[in-house]
Amino acid sequence: MFIEIKGIKRNFGEGESRVEVLKGIDLGIEKGEFCVLLGPSGSGKTTLLNILGGIDSADEGYIAIDGEKMADMNEKALTRYRRKHLGYVFQMYNLIPNLNIKENIETGAYLSENPLDVDELLKVLGLYEHRHKLPNQLSGGQQQRTAIGRAIVKNPDILLCDEPTGALDYKTSKEILKLIEEVNQKYGNTVVMVTHNDAIKHMADRVVKLHDGTIRENYKNDKKVSATELDW
Amino acid sequence: MRRNVLKRRFIRELKSEFGKYLVIFLFLIGAIGFVSGFLVASNSMLAAYEDGFAKYRVEDGNFELSSPAETELQTALIEEGVALYENFYLTEEVKETEAKLRIFKKRTEVNLICLMEGAFPEKADEIAIDRMHADNNRLSVGDSLTIGGKTLQISGLVAFSDYSALYEKASDMMFDATKFGVAVMTEEGFDGMGDTHLHYSYSWRYDTPAESDKKAGERADIVLEVLMGNGMRTGNVPVNFLPAMSNLAIQFVGDDMGRDNKMMAVFLYIIIAILAFVFAITISNTITKEALVIGTLRASGYTKGELIRHYLALPMTVVAVAAVLGNILGYTVFKEVAANMYYNSYSLPTFVTLWNADAFIRTTVIPVLLMFIINLVMLVRKLSLSPLRFIRRDLSKRKKGKAIRLNSKWSLMNRFRLRILLQNVPNYITILVGIFFANVLLLFGFVLPPLVDNYEKDITSNLIAKYQYVLKAPVETEEKSAEKYSVTALQTVKGKLKSEEVMVYGIAEGSAYVDAEFGDGVLISTAYAGKYGLSAGDEITLEESFGEQVHSFTVAGVYDYPAALAVFMEQEELNERFGFGEGYFNGYFSDRELVDFDERFLATKITADDLTKTTRQLKVSMGELMDLFLVFGVAVFLLVIYLLSKLIIEKNAQSISMTKILGYTDGEINKLYVWMTSAVVVISLIGTIPLVNYIMKYLFAAVLADYPGWLPYRVPFTAFVRMGALGILSYTVIILIQMKKVKGVSKSIALKSVE
Repeated sequence: MFIEIKGIKRNFGEGESRVEVLKGIDLGIEKGEFCVLLGPSGSGKTTLLNILGGIDSADEGYIAIDGEKMADMNEKALTRYRRKHLGYVFQMYNLIPNLNIKENIETGAYLSENPLDVDELLKVLGLYEHRHKLPNQLSGGQQQRTAIGRAIVKNPDILLCDEPTGALDYKTSKEILKLIEEVNQKYGNTVVMVTHNDAIKHMADRVVKLHDGTIRENYKNDKKVSATELDW
Repeated sequence: MRRNVLKRRFIRELKSEFGKYLVIFLFLIGAIGFVSGFLVASNSMLAAYEDGFAKYRVEDGNFELSSPAETELQTALIEEGVALYENFYLTEEVKETEAKLRIFKKRTEVNLICLMEGAFPEKADEIAIDRMHADNNRLSVGDSLTIGGKTLQISGLVAFSDYSALYEKASDMMFDATKFGVAVMTEEGFDGMGDTHLHYSYSWRYDTPAESDKKAGERADIVLEVLMGNGMRTGNVPVNFLPAMSNLAIQFVGDDMGRDNKMMAVFLYIIIAILAFVFAITISNTITKEALVIGTLRASGYTKGELIRHYLALPMTVVAVAAVLGNILGYTVFKEVAANMYYNSYSLPTFVTLWNADAFIRTTVIPVLLMFIINLVMLVRKLSLSPLRFIRRDLSKRKKGKAIRLNSKWSLMNRFRLRILLQNVPNYITILVGIFFANVLLLFGFVLPPLVDNYEKDITSNLIAKYQYVLKAPVETEEKSAEKYSVTALQTVKGKLKSEEVMVYGIAEGSAYVDAEFGDGVLISTAYAGKYGLSAGDEITLEESFGEQVHSFTVAGVYDYPAALAVFMEQEELNERFGFGEGYFNGYFSDRELVDFDERFLATKITADDLTKTTRQLKVSMGELMDLFLVFGVAVFLLVIYLLSKLIIEKNAQSISMTKILGYTDGEINKLYVWMTSAVVVISLIGTIPLVNYIMKYLFAAVLADYPGWLPYRVPFTAFVRMGALGILSYTVIILIQMKKVKGVSKSIALKSVE
C-alpha cells in the first residue's frame, strides 16, 4: 500500500468545547490512485487531508507513505517530505499577487530537482498565452489552473486537492476536474481530493465517504467515467 | 539550475511601494551619510590633533610666575628631567574687535604653530592671528588691527598647537573664540609692545614622555613642589600652574570629539532601530496579508528559512545599499560639512582624510546588523506558526480569548475607533516610540537656544557689579562707587565630579553690591548650589589649589549668582582664615570703570562680556548642530507617522472598502481611521514631552558634570509649545496624505477575493 492510514484520531479544543473530528480512520490508497474524500461539512475530510499533507498532526494513529511513518518525522523532515512528495491545491488559489502566471508555477518548480518543463505545462494547462499576466488579470478558473500547475510542476508523488472546484462555476469546475484527471493519467501521481460534490465520485478510482469523523463507505469504482461526462 | 523565482517580487514590491522605500532609503542615506561624514571627519581630525602632540612638540604643562624664573629654578627643574621654555605673552585688547588677544613671540622649540593661510610675521608691525578667532571676527590676511596704540597688519592665520580650543582660563566653563584669541609676532615686534601687560609664562616638557595620566600627574606634582620650594625661598610664587592633562585649551578637543562620536553613533542607532521596527511592522503586515500564500508555499515544501530569507532580503538590501551610498556621501560631501562644523568650533591644524574602520563598523556593520536582528526576530516569531495556521489565517500568537467587551452605551463610532486602536496596538506603540525619539531631537533643537539665552539674561541681570577687578596687590582708587573685597581661589575636592575652581569672596560689611546676611556660615552661588545639589545647612569642603590645606564651610544660604561657582563670606573672616591680615583686600566691585590705578597691579578685569563668553561660544559652535537636530527631528517624526499611518490604512483597506459599500462617506471614514491615528499622534506628541524633558534634564546634568561651572537646565514653556506646534503642523501634512489614501480605497477590494 502506497499510503497507509492507521487509527488516526484528532481532537480540537479542550474541556466542554472539545470536538472529536477524526475518531479512528483506517484507510489504504494505492500508488497512482485517484481517491475522492466525500462528506458533509464537519465530517473531518479536510482535517484528514491536512494530516496526510503533514501540515497537521494526529493525536493517535499513524500515516505511512511508501512505508515511511510521518509520525517519526520532525518539523524539518516534514518540510522535506512535503517538498519532495506533495503538491497542494486549495479552494482559494493562493497565488502570489505580484508574480505572473509563469512565475507562480516556477515557485513550484524551484522545489524540485527534476521539475516538469514549465512552458510545456503552461500549454497543457491552457495558460501559455496568459503566462505574463498577473493573477488578478485572470478568471477564477484560470487562477485555479495556475494553482494546479504550481502543485504539479514539481511532479509530486501525491497531489492533495482541497475543494479545488469549491469556488468555481459548473463549466469551469468541469474543466478543472478534467485537468486533474489528465494530470493523474499523464504523470501517474496519486491524487487525494476532498470535495462536497457527490458527482465527482464517479471519476475516482477510490471513493471514501466520511461522516462524523468515521469512514462510512470505502470502495473502488469498477467503472470510472471521464470528468467531461460528469453532471450535477 | 533551479531559480528562486520569488526574487522577482523584489522589483515589483519596490515599484508598488516606491514612495515608502524611497523615503526610507533617502532617510537612511541622509542619516548614515551624515554620521559617517561626521565620524570620518572627527576621527581624521582627531588623528591629526593627536599626531600634533609630537609634531608640534606640545608642552607637558605651563606655569606663570610673578617675575622671570631664576636660574636656580631652571637648574632644579632640569635635575628633575624637566626642560623649561620661556613662553611669555602679552594680553592686549584689539580696538576694532574689542577682543582680548594673547600675543606670543615666534616659537621654535615648543608648542609650534601651524600656518593655515598667508605667512608668519616677518616684520615688527606684522601679526599672525588664530584662524578661528579671525573667522569669528571676520578678519582676514591683510587687515589691520590697532593693538596697544600700534597698527599691526595681519600677515597670516594660524592654529596654535596648545590652543586647539581657545580657553582663556582653565576655570572657564567654555571658551570664547570671538572675544579671546591668540596671536604671534616677531621677537622685535613683541619687545616693542612694552611690558605693561606682560605675563611670565613658562612651558615645560619632560625629557621622557609620561607613560600614563597617573604618571603625568605625579611628575606634575614634582614640578609644583620645585616651584613652591623656589617661591618660598625667593618670593617668586606661581600665579598659575597648569599641567597639560588639566589644560582644557589642549585637551578639550580630544575629549569633545570622543563624546561627539559616541553621541552621533547613538543617534544613528536610534534612527536605525526605529526604521527597523517600521520595516518589521511592514513585513509583519505583509505576512498577515500573504498568509494564504505563505501557508500554501509552506504546505508545498518551502522551508521556514527560505521564506525568512525572502522577507528579509528587501529591507536588508535597502539598508546595505543606503549604507554604501551613505558612506560614499560621508567620505565626500558630509565629511566637509562636519569638518567645517569643527573648524567653526576649534582651532585645529589641517588634516588628511583617513579610512576609518570604526566609522565603517558604526555606520555600516552595526546598522545592517541591527536591521537584520530586529527583522529576523520578528520573522522567526511570525513564521514559526504551522502552515495550517497560515492557511486558516490564524496568526495570533495568543490563545484566543473573548473579544474585549465595550460599553454598548458608547456611540458606535467611538466603539469602532476603539476597535481600530486595539487592532493596531503594535503600530501605535511604534508611532509612540518614534515620536518620543523625534521629540528628543526636536527638544535638542528647540531647547538649547532659549536655555542659553535665558542663562545669558540671568548672568547679566545678576552681575555683582558692572566691573569686577582682581588685583595683584592692594591699590587704592578715587572712584566713589568702588567697593573693596577680598578673593581667593579654592578647588572642590575630586569625587564623582572633577575638581574645579571655586572663587571665595570676602564681602565688606554693609556691601552695596552683595546684599547678603551670612549668619554663621557662608553663602554659595546659585551655580554652585545647582551643580552640586546644595542647600542651606549643608557642609562644603574645598581645598587649596597649590597647597594641601582643606577648608570646610557651612552653607547658610544661596546667593543669586549664576555666572560661576562661588562662595561668599564676610571679608574679615576670609582675611583671617587665609592669613591675609586685617584690612586686606585684592579686588574692587564698581559700577564705573576704574582708570586711576596702574594696570600693572591688575590681575583681571571681569565684565558681563567675560561672564557670558560660554553662551556666545555655545551659540557659535552649537548653532548648526541645533538646526540639524531640528531637521532630523522633523524628518523622523514625519517618516514614522507617514509609514505607520499608511500601514494602518492599508491593513484596513478591506474594512474601509466595506464601509464605503455600506454607504459611509469619506468624511465619516476619515473620522474613524484618520481620527484615531491623529488622537494617538497628538497624545504621543504632548504626552512624551514631560518624559523627554526629564531625560534631557538628566542627560544635560551628566554632560555638564564634565565641564567646569554650571548652566542650569531651565526651559521656557514656550519652547515646548513651539515643539508641539511644529509636530502638529507637520502632522497636518500627513493627515492630508491619509485622507487622500482613504479616498483612494476602492469599493472593489471588499468584493474581490483575497488575491
